[in-house]
Amino acid sequence: MSGGDATVAIEARALTKRFGMLTVVDAVDFRLSPGSKTALLGANGAGKTTLLGLLATLVTPSAGAAWIGGESLARPSAALRRRIGVLAHLPMLYEELSALENLTFFARLYGVREAPARIEELLRAVGLWRRRDEPTHVFSRGQHQRLALARALLHTPDVLLLDEPETGLDVAGVALLDELVLTAPGLTVLAATHRVDHVDSWAEGALRLDRGRLVEDTTDRGQSPAGATAAAAVPEGPR
Amino acid sequence: MSATLAVLRKDLRLAWRDRSGWLAAASFAAISVLTYSFAFDLAAQDVRPLLPGVLWTTFLFAGIFAGGQSFQREAEQGTFDAMLMAPVPASAIYFGKALSNMLALIVVEVALLLLATILFDTTLITADLILIVAVGTVGYVSLTTLLSTLGSRARARAVLLPALALPLLVPLLIAAVRATGASLGEPAGTAPWTLLLVVFALWSSVGAALLFPMVVER
Repeated sequence: MSGGDATVAIEARALTKRFGMLTVVDAVDFRLSPGSKTALLGANGAGKTTLLGLLATLVTPSAGAAWIGGESLARPSAALRRRIGVLAHLPMLYEELSALENLTFFARLYGVREAPARIEELLRAVGLWRRRDEPTHVFSRGQHQRLALARALLHTPDVLLLDEPETGLDVAGVALLDELVLTAPGLTVLAATHRVDHVDSWAEGALRLDRGRLVEDTTDRGQSPAGATAAAAVPEGPR
Repeated sequence: MSATLAVLRKDLRLAWRDRSGWLAAASFAAISVLTYSFAFDLAAQDVRPLLPGVLWTTFLFAGIFAGGQSFQREAEQGTFDAMLMAPVPASAIYFGKALSNMLALIVVEVALLLLATILFDTTLITADLILIVAVGTVGYVSLTTLLSTLGSRARARAVLLPALALPLLVPLLIAAVRATGASLGEPAGTAPWTLLLVVFALWSSVGAALLFPMVVER
């Protein structure tokens, strides 16, 4: 398979993941331009989380390939990993560590320059600076999600992969998410979501998965993702 | 190197904050040695031939008990995936976790040697014995850290770690028990047990670091 296009932020070609006999992501093709905001839609079990795992380099594809900024995910370099931020379904935080200790640890792993200033900036942005020394097990679900958002943005990624980012967030939290991520200029966002009522406010296009197959792609047509969202709202029957 | 140190510091901090796992392992080890001490008549018997078996059985189960917990917690909180996505080699994460498990287990082992010294009225805090215990721990923890990763996503993880680890650890256990016996003045044959222990520790730490990236791949 020939190389990726450096002018495309995220590209997938025939990207496939099988777990045993089960094909979870089935020959998915798409291209997202830099700075684009895309909703990833589909019913439970459609393959959204696995697709995000493939793009996050956590899951190895069974077939096909994907690129971030033209660099293949097959053998991800450290530089490529630095370009990707992930807000997963789990907050991915140490419950016994404080908010500050969590971010300091991940800043060390990512080699973040001027880490104390960056951590302070993010903790202030997500409204947790005053609670920075408290262990995260005392945080509410929404506060966990705010801190997870700060962790995902810590190393200033170009591409942000989000899995149901609104989980646990109150109205102020969702507004914060919009401001920091979903409408942030320059940041390429691919976000799996069930909040179809919210998608039109930030997404420029949508990818819709059904049983692992990409059944709708409105990312390059300059149209609202509303059509895809309406289809996504239809519940899926058992496999 | 800096990633290994970051993981090591984080794991030691976590072990200190949530001491339940290692405290439970230390309590189990202390109760085991205490129970063994009741079984022997110290006035009439020389307990030294039995001590290597008593010590290594206790070390082994204390380590398996506590070691598996650190990966289990990481898997449940999703933090293990967060580390794997970071721009650091998987082997650096492995070494950080293995080193923290080794340090925590060595603390438990030294405390246990002190307790056994009192209970069995035999000097166990010697340079020879501490070296043997340290080398044996490196070999043993290297392997169990790798196997804990393998088992952390399995439903039957509580059974999986001992079931996988114990057969693989047989050569190490034989060498460790014989080398410990020799350091206590017991006849151990002519085989170079300590050298075998060193070779096993090198093999398991290098082999586990090489295998770790494959084990964590999904």
